[in-house]
Amino acid sequence: MARTASLSEHPATRRDATGQKNKGGLIGVMLFIASESMFFLGLFLAWFYLRAMSTGGWPPPGVTPPPALPAYLNTAVALLSSAAMVCAERAIARDAQRSLLIWISIAGALGIVFMAIQSVEFTVLANLAQGSAYGSAFTFLLVFHTLRVFAGVVLMGVVLIRALLGQVSRRRRLLVQATAAYWYFITGVWLVIFAVLYLS
Amino acid sequence: MASISIPLPLRERAKTGLLGWLATVDHKKIGIMYMVMAFSFFLIAGLLGLVIRLQLAAPNMQIVDAHTYNQLFTMHGTVMIFLFTIPMLVGGFGNYLLPLMIGARDVAFPRLNAFSFWITLGAGLVMFGGFLLGARSDASWTAYVPYSNKTYSPTIGMDIWLLGLILLGIGSTLGAVNFLVTLYTMRAPGMTAWRIPMFGWAMATTAVMILLATPVLTAALIMLVADRNFNTQFFSANQAQLWQHMFWFYSHPAVYIMILPAMGIVSEIIPVFARKPLFGLRAVVISTALIGLLGFTTWVHHMFVSGVDPVLERFFMFTTMVIAVPTGVKVFNWLATLWGGSLNLKTPLLMCIGFLATFVVGGLSGVMMASIPIDQYVHNSYWVVAHFHYVLFGGSVFGIFAGLYYWVPKITGRMFDDKLGKLHFLLMLIGFNVTFFPMHHLGLLGMPRRIATYAAGRGWETGNLIATIGAFLLAFSVLIFILNVLKLRNGQPAGDDPWEGNTLEWSTASPPPEYNFREIPVVESERPLFDARWRTSHLP
Ligand code: HEM
Ligand SMILES: [Cu+2]
Repeated sequence: MARTASLSEHPATRRDATGQKNKGGLIGVMLFIASESMFFLGLFLAWFYLRAMSTGGWPPPGVTPPPALPAYLNTAVALLSSAAMVCAERAIARDAQRSLLIWISIAGALGIVFMAIQSVEFTVLANLAQGSAYGSAFTFLLVFHTLRVFAGVVLMGVVLIRALLGQVSRRRRLLVQATAAYWYFITGVWLVIFAVLYLS
Repeated sequence: MASISIPLPLRERAKTGLLGWLATVDHKKIGIMYMVMAFSFFLIAGLLGLVIRLQLAAPNMQIVDAHTYNQLFTMHGTVMIFLFTIPMLVGGFGNYLLPLMIGARDVAFPRLNAFSFWITLGAGLVMFGGFLLGARSDASWTAYVPYSNKTYSPTIGMDIWLLGLILLGIGSTLGAVNFLVTLYTMRAPGMTAWRIPMFGWAMATTAVMILLATPVLTAALIMLVADRNFNTQFFSANQAQLWQHMFWFYSHPAVYIMILPAMGIVSEIIPVFARKPLFGLRAVVISTALIGLLGFTTWVHHMFVSGVDPVLERFFMFTTMVIAVPTGVKVFNWLATLWGGSLNLKTPLLMCIGFLATFVVGGLSGVMMASIPIDQYVHNSYWVVAHFHYVLFGGSVFGIFAGLYYWVPKITGRMFDDKLGKLHFLLMLIGFNVTFFPMHHLGLLGMPRRIATYAAGRGWETGNLIATIGAFLLAFSVLIFILNVLKLRNGQPAGDDPWEGNTLEWSTASPPPEYNFREIPVVESERPLFDARWRTSHLP
């Protein structure tokens, strides 16, 4: 006779008991991040292509790049925020709800600071985008990155509310893990943007 | 069959009636909605194709003016690719079959799945609604800049087209995430990697391609929207080629997104109807994955006349020829499966044979064009139109019909009229070849694609007339299929397993209950249902 499987062998049951669904959820988040990376890869390819095609230099003569100071500041802010996120993740892994609340608030607040500082760049970029390919590619990378920062901050808000309602715990922390993974990704994209747009 | 009991999910009792469809998160209902949507778009785009063919039947025809003609082939190509083939294969077959084939009760994220469908339908309505209301794009399905920029496409039609594609991209990317997680985490116990049905592997590869290629197109689409409406400078002047790179970075993989699931369907059907296991399952799986990988390395073969660096061109010529190898491997595997089998020549198998015959022709004309000197002659001619209809119609559409004849009995619980099915097959095969084979010749005679009409005396008359006659035969064959669908109501009951299938969907009722499997099956080989039949006939 054929072998019969025990109940615990099947994913459909395993996931309720020991968090298999979390595994599925996290894989889903990773795949989503993969597709997000490809979106930014597209924008970066455009940047490098336009740079290679530009005849008069990069930035072209007459185009002043936006100020670099905000970008330096924001690199620090982004790294700090991600560090706070690491602490938040560790906190919930220990089931320390209060400390999760604190760290996630810090990370979120830093995200808002990031956007505030970025708005200085945008006042300049609004004009820059229309004048040249350089400005367009520059603006797109910044705009679409900042949109992700915004999404990340919203996610952190959701985590915060869920945590206040007592819906987050060591066993139910997929949302925290997902938010954290996405936030590290956004920080990573920022580092690449910083290196490519401001340092090279 | 061995199985395990798992309490049924606590999803509230399935709603019935219209709300049962609108509010459903059941992968089967979503799959059916994708199929109905896609098939409707197929009929619409087919009609546009007929108008195109009427216009070209003879020289100097004026059924539509040149401007309308451009809008017609733009919509024809766009709808066929983005609203028919991809949603049919990925959304329709993928959704309906994947969970059933791997012994799951639904996909990993059912609500996300419903969201993907509604956003896809919404995008279709935006694009097609725009078309009906007169907001039409006429820059072809490739929307090359500068045709598609504000100067040459000043109307809102182009923006609607772009918006529709952006929405479609979101829907299909989320769907891809869903499928991959489903395949990874929800397989029945015992279903190791090498026991995943070939269709599952095909969908996995397709999903990876969608996931990685679509966002690049989305980026390009948004850039074009911005160029048109916010005065950015992405595709201006000497940078227009950027569009071609980004477009084909997606759209070459997209041709595999459209063919791999069809190959998966064929790989499921041929073994059942040849009553043999698939020859070299691992070779087929590996070649599928290789196609997926190499599919990302060939896009510049669409740009051999665009003035790309010649060294780069040679590289892409090489990769394009290489990708024919895993494709050839699969063809030989299917042939070897058929070879010596005891063939059950029902409509599903006939459609697969039609697939093989026509797809190979399209594949061969493709390899020829991989060669730069040949491509520079035939580029943008009717040769290309012949080529891609042989792979898209001859490949994907024959595959889709094979799948419909094979699985609609499972979906509806009723059998098709096989005689009518065979008539459909025969007329479609003839109509298809009569329509598209002469186009090879027309292309070699120098007839460019995308021309609204042509002057007499260039030797193009006969070929065009034949093609138009073929197109109507082709359309007639599709009517026979529709008749067959209408007759389903009175069809023979299908029973659980009318074909003696191999995969798990044939172990549940037809149509399957909402939860698919009362008992989750345990899988012991890549042909679980064959095992089960063998056991009942060989064991006391
Ligand atoms: C009813 C059957 C069909 C007929 C009679 C037909 C006819 C045609 C013709 C004559 C053209 C060339 C128009 C021109 O270049 O001026 C064309 C273009 C095209 N067709 Fe079809 N076709 C059919 C089915 C399909 C299917 C099933 C697909 C894909 C799954 C498809 C995809 C395309 C695409 C992508 C183009 C290119 C549009 C462009 O140039 O932008 N067609 N079709
Ligand atoms: Cu290609």
